[in-house]
Amino acid sequence: MTRILRTGILVVLGALWLVPVYLLLVNAAKSPLTFTTTESWIPTDFSLFSNIAEAMRLSGLGDSVLSTLVYAIVSPAIAVLVGAAAGFAIVALRLKHGFAWFVVIFGGTVFPLQMVLLPLFDAYSRVGLFDTQLGMIIVYTAISIPFSAFVMRNFFTGIAHSVFEAAVLDGATTWRIFSRVYLPMAASALVAIFILQATFIWNDLLLGLTLSQSDDVRPIVTTLSGMQSTYGGAQMSTVLAAGVLVSLPTVVLFLFTQKFFARGLALGQY
Amino acid sequence: MAVLQTPERERTARGLTEPAGGPARRKTPYRWSALGFISPGVLLVAVLLYLPLLWTTFLSFTEYNGLGDPDWVGFDNYGDMFDDPAFLGSLGNTLLWVVGTLLIPVGIGLGIALLTWNLAGGVWLRLPFLIPYALSGIGVGLIWSFILSSNGALDQALAAFGITDTPRWLVDAPLNTVVMIVAAAWQGVGVNALLFTIGLQSIPKEPLEAARVDGARGFRLFGSILWPMLRPLTAVVVGLSIVASLKTFDIVQGMTKGGPGRASETLALTMYKETFVNSDYGLGSAIAVFLTIVTLLAAILYLREQLSKKHEL
Repeated sequence: MTRILRTGILVVLGALWLVPVYLLLVNAAKSPLTFTTTESWIPTDFSLFSNIAEAMRLSGLGDSVLSTLVYAIVSPAIAVLVGAAAGFAIVALRLKHGFAWFVVIFGGTVFPLQMVLLPLFDAYSRVGLFDTQLGMIIVYTAISIPFSAFVMRNFFTGIAHSVFEAAVLDGATTWRIFSRVYLPMAASALVAIFILQATFIWNDLLLGLTLSQSDDVRPIVTTLSGMQSTYGGAQMSTVLAAGVLVSLPTVVLFLFTQKFFARGLALGQY
Repeated sequence: MAVLQTPERERTARGLTEPAGGPARRKTPYRWSALGFISPGVLLVAVLLYLPLLWTTFLSFTEYNGLGDPDWVGFDNYGDMFDDPAFLGSLGNTLLWVVGTLLIPVGIGLGIALLTWNLAGGVWLRLPFLIPYALSGIGVGLIWSFILSSNGALDQALAAFGITDTPRWLVDAPLNTVVMIVAAAWQGVGVNALLFTIGLQSIPKEPLEAARVDGARGFRLFGSILWPMLRPLTAVVVGLSIVASLKTFDIVQGMTKGGPGRASETLALTMYKETFVNSDYGLGSAIAVFLTIVTLLAAILYLREQLSKKHEL
């Protein structure tokens, strides 16, 4: 096929793909006064920011944004370190039965989340972690660890063992070798995992729906889901504006870090 | 594809350097240190994933509403499950999701990867397809329920062409499941295109050049060289799609909440409803176990396919 034809097909298809995004932006920018469902395709005015402010007022979306930001930063940060430590133990320290340990950790990602929801809900209620930020951080960290350990183990196998031996000869402790030699070398892999997991956590609905309740603990996507049913018809432009607010960070992050994403995805294919 | 091959390379290396017994035989002076490094990961995963897993499996054999103690009922929940028309409908919808997600996003994703392959500006032309991937399922659901609502954006566009007798997209079953699959496809195409692009870029140049010299172009080139070379990656993409579609929750929750009635529920949603809305913990757990078994079977199938095809690369 000629290049021009290929480009043409892609441009048309790409434009078609952006139509829903156009509709979202145009209608999220309409003030509730000018918003009528009969003119979805035509922009009227630009009230996106006042709509977002209104969405925050209506639903406690502002509190959600803050705590979700904490979840999406703290949990993957801990998870990449814990995963890297596991990979380090298996590959560099040559832990006895290392592969079996690896399977134990990685196995955690094979099962659908549905298998852990109810017991977590039950246990969280009993120990006082239900509807707490700490509880959400812990669970998001745990679900991010298997993938992180997987990628880091793969990454560390690419580092020659003589690097480790040289550091030992220099008299470094294992902790020092881990933190000063292996972690810095793995920076790009760590960032790739972090971005991928942060996006997954930001977009999580199921755990938020199950393990939290109040505005300041609920993850943002869960709050948006609640808004959609509560303020459906009349406040449609407000709900759409909330949708823009919720979606913007991951879209921006994703577009700026496409390369890392591609790498993370390629690594996460097992 | 270099990254994809790492584990295999490493397995081979392991086989060569560490015969029978493997690393287990070697004395390492760092045993305690190694255990220290691995224990946080193992502990967190064990407590937050494995223990709940076992408890859900146990609960699936009990009658339990969250109060008092669970009563052991054997396989009753599993029997009830297959007698329940809502569950069977949900099972049918989930199958529809698996088939639809395989055909549309994987197919279009491969198409886009091929079209952008070696094309000037390919990275930019791929961008529009990647934006939806970064959206949450709820975000996607929100946009598409706005588009598909009665007299919504789609109906208005159709009316401009004189088509006014439109179906109720989100109400009529199984049409509602089909349009949700389209919405999910809109979201999922980009990531499949990205994965196939990674695969295409990793194909060695020599056989391609040879085929071109021999006059292979277009579909012939695709059929004789590209497709066989992409097969291992296709197995991965297909496997991931199946596993992900089995767990479909967010988009359905966002667009129809499984309704009207229970017409558009998926297994993941039925499990959620039985457990957290109806407080039928035993039945909810049984559905979770069923979903897990099906997911594991799908994962094993594609992992096996992938591992056996690997050596062709």
